[in-house]
Amino acid sequence: MSDREMEDDDEHDRANRRGRGQKDAAMDTERYQGQGGVFDRLGDKESGTGPAKSVEGYVIFITNVHEEAAEEDIYDVFAEYGDIKNVHLNLDRRTGLVKGYCLIEYEGYKEAQQAIEKMNGADFHGKNLAVSWAFSKGPVLGRAATRRRTAASR
Amino acid sequence: MDEREEFYLRYYVGHNGEYGHEFLEFEFRPDGKMRYANNSNYKKGRMIRKEVFVTPAVVGDLKRIIKESDIMNLDDSNWPEPDRIGRQELEIVMGEDHISFTASKIGKLQDVENSEDPAGLRMFYYLVQDLKCLVFSVIGLHFKIKPI
Repeated sequence: MSDREMEDDDEHDRANRRGRGQKDAAMDTERYQGQGGVFDRLGDKESGTGPAKSVEGYVIFITNVHEEAAEEDIYDVFAEYGDIKNVHLNLDRRTGLVKGYCLIEYEGYKEAQQAIEKMNGADFHGKNLAVSWAFSKGPVLGRAATRRRTAASR
Repeated sequence: MDEREEFYLRYYVGHNGEYGHEFLEFEFRPDGKMRYANNSNYKKGRMIRKEVFVTPAVVGDLKRIIKESDIMNLDDSNWPEPDRIGRQELEIVMGEDHISFTASKIGKLQDVENSEDPAGLRMFYYLVQDLKCLVFSVIGLHFKIKPI
């Protein structure tokens, strides 16, 4: 490999790049001119990493859900912690089985927090659930986020 | 799952037609910011633009879905190219890999079977459906809108 190629590789974060499309890791600003560039969000003044409130309540995110779990099973277990407003137990579009994650909405913060505390790690159909908040008030600052930002500002 | 590995995802589907540029696009950024846009000019509908921060748990499961789909090992060179009917774009950065695939719109599975790369295009087709399904739940629950 020549020096030139090595440099190019470095420029692209040494990623293995493939495909015919743009590789900017960003939306095309042409599509969002003027007011089109403004995105609505809830809790505009909030920041930090705490859980964010949704329009009608608090949403928790459950993973490692057994592929044959039924919505009623989820409901039965999680209704223990408060009135459930919504359950989305989405299916794999090819197999029709549970995709592995589930979103549950409670009206109150406390109910959602209780469900997270009690059910995170709990056994459900022979698998341990991971339960956490779905939404955060602000960004997650990790190594990857920092690296990507630095790359974008070059 | 390594939470620190680099990650970015963007999907776009759209076309230029009688009602102007109509499209759906969403992205997940490395800091957890998720953006969703739906621009339909039919009956002068205005563009829906929403953004929200999702937790590492959501991004982690998104990565799992991508890994299970095997999309990072595919190539779009034999896929039908974007045309007047429409255009799809799927861009994903994950660890050292960066893919950016384009294709025409896929109306039905028959289009996949009749293509030059049915195996690859089928994986793409189902992954896109699974991604939209997750995004519509996330946006729908948080903002109380019906995304479609």
